[in-house]
Amino acid sequence: MRFSLPSSLSLGLVALISLSGCGFSGSSAGATQAAKADQRIVVDNFRAPVANWALESDAAYILSLSGCLETLTRYDEAQGKIVPLLATEWKQVSPLEWDFTIRGGVKFQDGSALSADAVAGSLQKVLAAAVPARAFNPKVVTGVKAVDDRTVRVSTPTESPLVPYRLASVNTGILAPAAFKGDTVDPFGHCTGPFEPVSEKPKQSLTLDRNEAYWGGEVQLAGAEVRFITDGATRAAQVQTGEADVSLSIPVSGLPGLESDASVKVLKSDSPRTATLYMNNGRAPFDDVDFRKAVRSALDLDALAASVYEGAAVAASGPFAPSEPWAVKGSVTPKQDLEGARKLLATAGYTADRPLEVIAIVERAEFADVATVIQEDLKAVGIPVKIQTKEYAAAEPDLLAGNYDMVLSQRNRLIDIADPIGFLTADYTCDGTYNLSHFCNKDYDATIAKAATTADADERYRLYAEAGQILQEQAVNVWLVNEQAIDAVRADLQAHVQDPLSRYVVRAETAKP
Amino acid sequence: MMPFLARRTAALVAAVLLASFTVFLIPYMTPGDTVRKIIRSRVAGEVIDDSAVEALSLQLGLNDPLWAQYLRWLGRLLTGDMGLSYTSRTPVADQVLPALWITLSLVVLALGTAGALSVVLGVTAALQEGRPADKVITAVTQAFIAVPEYWLAPLLVLAFALQLSALPSAGWEGPQSAVLPVAVLALRPTSYFTSAVREGILEALGAEHVVAARSRGVSHLQTVAKHVIPNGLLPLTTLVAVWFAGLLGGSVIVEVIFAIPGMGRLLFDGVLNSDIPLAQGAVVVVVGLAVVLTTAADLVHGLLNPQIRMSHA
Repeated sequence: MRFSLPSSLSLGLVALISLSGCGFSGSSAGATQAAKADQRIVVDNFRAPVANWALESDAAYILSLSGCLETLTRYDEAQGKIVPLLATEWKQVSPLEWDFTIRGGVKFQDGSALSADAVAGSLQKVLAAAVPARAFNPKVVTGVKAVDDRTVRVSTPTESPLVPYRLASVNTGILAPAAFKGDTVDPFGHCTGPFEPVSEKPKQSLTLDRNEAYWGGEVQLAGAEVRFITDGATRAAQVQTGEADVSLSIPVSGLPGLESDASVKVLKSDSPRTATLYMNNGRAPFDDVDFRKAVRSALDLDALAASVYEGAAVAASGPFAPSEPWAVKGSVTPKQDLEGARKLLATAGYTADRPLEVIAIVERAEFADVATVIQEDLKAVGIPVKIQTKEYAAAEPDLLAGNYDMVLSQRNRLIDIADPIGFLTADYTCDGTYNLSHFCNKDYDATIAKAATTADADERYRLYAEAGQILQEQAVNVWLVNEQAIDAVRADLQAHVQDPLSRYVVRAETAKP
Repeated sequence: MMPFLARRTAALVAAVLLASFTVFLIPYMTPGDTVRKIIRSRVAGEVIDDSAVEALSLQLGLNDPLWAQYLRWLGRLLTGDMGLSYTSRTPVADQVLPALWITLSLVVLALGTAGALSVVLGVTAALQEGRPADKVITAVTQAFIAVPEYWLAPLLVLAFALQLSALPSAGWEGPQSAVLPVAVLALRPTSYFTSAVREGILEALGAEHVVAARSRGVSHLQTVAKHVIPNGLLPLTTLVAVWFAGLLGGSVIVEVIFAIPGMGRLLFDGVLNSDIPLAQGAVVVVVGLAVVLTTAADLVHGLLNPQIRMSHA
């Protein structure tokens, strides 16, 4: 393998490939044959680009996973920290300002130079979007400007230690000035990454060629094709037939066939999603902590993970996956305790005067089965439950208004940035904008407020764990199972590292014999 | 003839107008806030800012009264403008036309295959009435009527792509990629067509002029070729038109499973992303074509059979 990356990045990549902890397992080895420079690969992705490649949309994920779009910083799961990418360093120059030093010698694929002006212009476009990006919008960033040739200043409305995390979001990827014409965005030839998009078949695929002048060193593959295939079974079949080298997001139903095929490797890692039984803490009987604990004790989470999820998810021990650096230390999966649940119900003074309702969101097909298991478990301790299936959009107004008992749903904790602050704030603080549980606790709010201004990552993570402890003690919800990110790759693919968030798939070092 | 044509044309226009109004209303009748759904399709995740909802509503004109939105949409539609897709921000017409071409190719190939197979099977079954060949053909085709596409498609992929490596499992690249989706789409029409052809041929075999021809000493082969088959296949014209219309809108499952960028996939994406103009554009084209095709089949049938024309006079 040939690398000529800057030392910091090389170290990061070595660590990334060799480590398997922190939810970032699944590197595919098998590099026994020499890689060929004329090889191309096919990646099956589950979604097609939207919003005409607008960077603030989820189309940015496709540009990033394809090896086109690069950001100023990147979150390295293996190291658990932000590392340099198009910026070499950054510092907080005042409570509300951060300066990023732009890497020298980098050119966009159209030959123009990466400058502070180009970076500022690209970021300003995202900031001005009508439908703002989660990680980078006027609520969290007030402005971006070029201070000099190599320095970009990012201003925030309040003091925030998380600005470098925001600049690692794929939505803040940098495109050349020529990519922006009026309201349209043209990524073709305007990225900085190891691969240059050369053609697109709408709703079908994106074809990329090697960027011969890549700043980060030699690119191993001649190119790649990213196909947009909605159906999970088709993605699974394509990696088995060899039509695809990588298939992302494999459904559980496709696993048995893939796992028994020697030409395919199935990669699994903790995803930042936990299937959760949300309980409406704002109304009876869920406003009683003993009742909520009784519900938790009544459920058999291990059986749920083994049955409905067929082993493709792990019984949850709390609001975070155990591999996350902010997981509550020593947490164990609550065990089913029917007798304990009955005692707690008696303490809460619960009388089954009306059947409680659990809403199963139809967008996640498995939730209908999960709801049935929950219904049976709760019936065993004397809690009658009715199941309702609803489209999420139809249920949302009632959930936000507090007109429900229980709902099965799941959230991506790291959906905006590689830090759970947004999730913990929106979902569980008293003023949280997405507080479906209608939970309100002053100690919790104070912990989160402190974490939001804590620059030291270790200390911040400790505060997150402390907040998680409060959520567990108060049995705010029942966190059911931690979902797994499941990808399948051809066994001969070299230097492939699974990213549970599917942001980086085709990389400079990806190779094929 | 002219009054018949005029009435059918007036009915056609009324049907298209009614269909357009229904198509326009459908997205507004689905539960949930449309604008929130649009935002969610652009930016995955559940926390949506109210100010973003308001800004997008204004930008898309979704705060206007429904009738104003309908008239605006219809007015644009009459000039061939289907509006801009909410998600891709490109003209819907630019997406619909290539997708329509792909779906039409699929449907024509599927119906061509079904038609050819059904003529062979239906005629054979009728001419062998009551014999083993008839029983086997009837049993097999009746069984295939119950086979859903979402079950058959993965089965064919397993056999022909995975086990035999003979055909691609998905995509729309060259004639090979059309084989499996066409086979899936053709299966059920073949079953229905075979049954119709069999019945048509049996009926024709018992017709007076056929009996008379035989009594005149015309050979069996000549009678079948000249008198039985042409009349026996007449019901097939209407069936093909009806199935054509049905497959245009019913190819969603096949197009999603085989990752084919046709009308079905377009409709699926439009609904999935709450992309109202895209969904409306896709449905209005499919419904419009369906109405035109069934009317055309009616007219052809009327031309071929004066009794029908007279009964509508």
